[in-house]
Amino acid sequence: MRHLIFLLVLFMSAPATAQAIGKKPVIFPALSTASATLDIHAATDLPAMEPLLRDFQQAAPDITINYFEYVTNDLYKAADEACRAGHPIGDILLSSSVDQLMKLANDGCAGAHRSPETKRTARWANWRDEVFGFTYEPSIFVYDSRMVPPEDVPRSHADLAELLRRRIDFYRGRIGTYDIRLSGIGYLLAYSDARQTTTVYGRLLESMSRADVVTRCCNSEILELITGGQLYIGYNILGSYAYAAMLKNPHLRIVVPQDYTLVLRRGALISKDAPNLAAAKRFLDYLLSERGQRVSREKAFFFAEDGTLPKGVDGPETLKESGVARPIRIGPSLLAAQDQAQRLRFIADWADVLFGSARRPDDPPK
Amino acid sequence: MTRNDSSLFTRLAVLVSLVLCVGATALAIAAWYYARAAADDAYDRVLKGAALQMADSLTVDGGEMIVDLPASAFELLGLAERDRLFYRIVDPEGKTLTGYADLANGSDLSAVRSEPIVQNGSYSGDPVRIVVVARAFSDPALSGWAHVIVAQTTEARRALAAELTTRAVLLVLIMSVMALAGTALAIRYALRPVWRLGAALNSRDSQDLKPIEVDMPREMRPFVGSINHFMGRLERRVSQLERFIADAAHQIRTPLTALTAQVDLLGQDKLGAGARQHLERVQQRAEELARLTNQLLSHAMVIHRADAVRLAPVNLVDIARRAFRAAVPITLSPDIIVSFEADESDPKVLGDAVSLREAIVNVIDNALRHGTLSRLEVKVSSEAGNAVIEVEDDGPGIPREAWESVTQRFATPKQNGGTAGLGFSIAAEVASAHGGTLGFRERNERGFVVVLKLPLLTGEGD
Repeated sequence: MRHLIFLLVLFMSAPATAQAIGKKPVIFPALSTASATLDIHAATDLPAMEPLLRDFQQAAPDITINYFEYVTNDLYKAADEACRAGHPIGDILLSSSVDQLMKLANDGCAGAHRSPETKRTARWANWRDEVFGFTYEPSIFVYDSRMVPPEDVPRSHADLAELLRRRIDFYRGRIGTYDIRLSGIGYLLAYSDARQTTTVYGRLLESMSRADVVTRCCNSEILELITGGQLYIGYNILGSYAYAAMLKNPHLRIVVPQDYTLVLRRGALISKDAPNLAAAKRFLDYLLSERGQRVSREKAFFFAEDGTLPKGVDGPETLKESGVARPIRIGPSLLAAQDQAQRLRFIADWADVLFGSARRPDDPPK
Repeated sequence: MTRNDSSLFTRLAVLVSLVLCVGATALAIAAWYYARAAADDAYDRVLKGAALQMADSLTVDGGEMIVDLPASAFELLGLAERDRLFYRIVDPEGKTLTGYADLANGSDLSAVRSEPIVQNGSYSGDPVRIVVVARAFSDPALSGWAHVIVAQTTEARRALAAELTTRAVLLVLIMSVMALAGTALAIRYALRPVWRLGAALNSRDSQDLKPIEVDMPREMRPFVGSINHFMGRLERRVSQLERFIADAAHQIRTPLTALTAQVDLLGQDKLGAGARQHLERVQQRAEELARLTNQLLSHAMVIHRADAVRLAPVNLVDIARRAFRAAVPITLSPDIIVSFEADESDPKVLGDAVSLREAIVNVIDNALRHGTLSRLEVKVSSEAGNAVIEVEDDGPGIPREAWESVTQRFATPKQNGGTAGLGFSIAAEVASAHGGTLGFRERNERGFVVVLKLPLLTGEGD
């Protein structure tokens, strides 16, 4: 146990080496005599998943869990290659970038699973009984309340664009978001943003470009920079990670945008021909079960589809009823996001707007 | 209703069921074909629409083809919720711009320039429906035909076809069951006059040979007509037979009486001892002949009356007493003691007085002729729902093993008796025609008893 905590601390303190972490698993030994192992390959921060893994082991004490952590793009690449080669990388894949899981499932890399638990899943969170959404995570703004005065707090995407134009000198280099070249989930959120509102998104992108936006592979790094005082505002941060950080650092604040809020369902997919199929199914059922959802809401991801926003979050009381929630539906339309030509061009446009030499302020990337 | 092979109901039901089965199967197959065609048609439109949308999104910019796939095209394809989809976009030079490079690789794309082509195929091991659409570009920098190939697995089509087929089959099944039930009812209804006719014939009195008057459907009328015609012939024949019996009785009795009288007139004194002996023989034989003739007529009459006479309540004591008087001849030897005895129960039966009298006469006559040595008793009583007539004599009786045979015609208790007797046969016929029995009681120290039992008239018979 002490080893584990040591390891955890080690991993958390060195997120830059995310790709290296993917090679070595964090091991959760079985609580009783081990009769099965479960290889989880996940693009999900371990601290978020750990309460779920531990609670699952309470229910299934005979399973040893090997947890491999990736960033989304690396996980997709590894899984895609493994699938083409015909031997799966692990038993179950977890990723916030559900479009990548959709693509894997469409390419025939997933095994179907039907159970009473999967039947409870909403239609927009289950594709072919292969890709399942098991969380409900709004994409939100984070700011440092020590640095951002109350009158500056942006409550919509337009607010944020406007704020960056208005106080460009104060916020220059102080806003951070995903680097969509590195992060699959960053790309999915940006792509979904662009589809929500072309003009506002274009303006926001252009404002961020002028404010010398800081981009990172992962939420955890952005959150660390905000905690450390280097950044003031984080854009398109997953609510779950942000809330976990806020619990540790009370000066962090979360805003659920009031014009629209993208809501992501973190995806789970059982590999085709998974070596430990039974254990993978048990874990998936656990994730979708009432118990798993409760632990998820209370300890892991904090937000839930039914129920109020967690305490201390600036936003409407309930996301679902407020009408601002824009769930990213798990379905074939995500395959458009995964088209390679489209993706390359979108990312190129994005990079061009943010960092390109020839800036075209009034020209949205799409 | 009995359901054997020759039942009309079974024949009709089996035939109709067969027709329905064959029809339902044919309809189900047709439904499956139509459902498949309909499902394919519906989803092909979606597939074509999506492909055209994708083709429409292609643009040329600076001599390069730009692919900006519309998410709406994927949403359209997503209407088939569970189906995997594959696509490939090919530029005018035949280079794959994006998508699955190995999709429909070998096919000739130039064939689709006039209109989109939809066909079946397979991709990554699954059956797919493939559409190919073409779009012409005439940009100075880039001109020619670009192609969009979209393929979709067939789960939604199969599910839709299966659902449509299931519903259609369900309807056909319901229809068939209803038709079958309706047919069964119709057949029963149609066959009801047959049962009615049978019941009408069965419930008739045996002597009733009048034409049947039952309300019958048109199809049944020839049949009823035939029955009525046949019954008419039968009635004529029966009356002819009755006349013949009467004629025969008359014809035989008259010369026989004359013969007997003639023989009696022959003076015995004038004859020698040998001739007298012969004469006595002739008298004896003539007497036997007369008796036999009487019995034959009596038997014929009894059989005829059993079928032709309506039974009426009669007092059995009266009949038995009259029979007793008729059967005991005046010439009976005075050494023989005869007695008639009836208890106070005064039994009544439903019967034909003539036949019953004939039966009792024959039993008594038989006892006098073949049994009685010195005593004959006739008793009428009733016991346990039956009227009982007992005829007892002190003769040797009939051994038990001969009881059955003596009730048949021309059997006689004495092997060498010389007279073929119809007496017991007549009595037995009458007894059975009245629902009674003719029986015997084993010889004991008092004598041998013949017992005639007839069911008592119950209730309102008076």
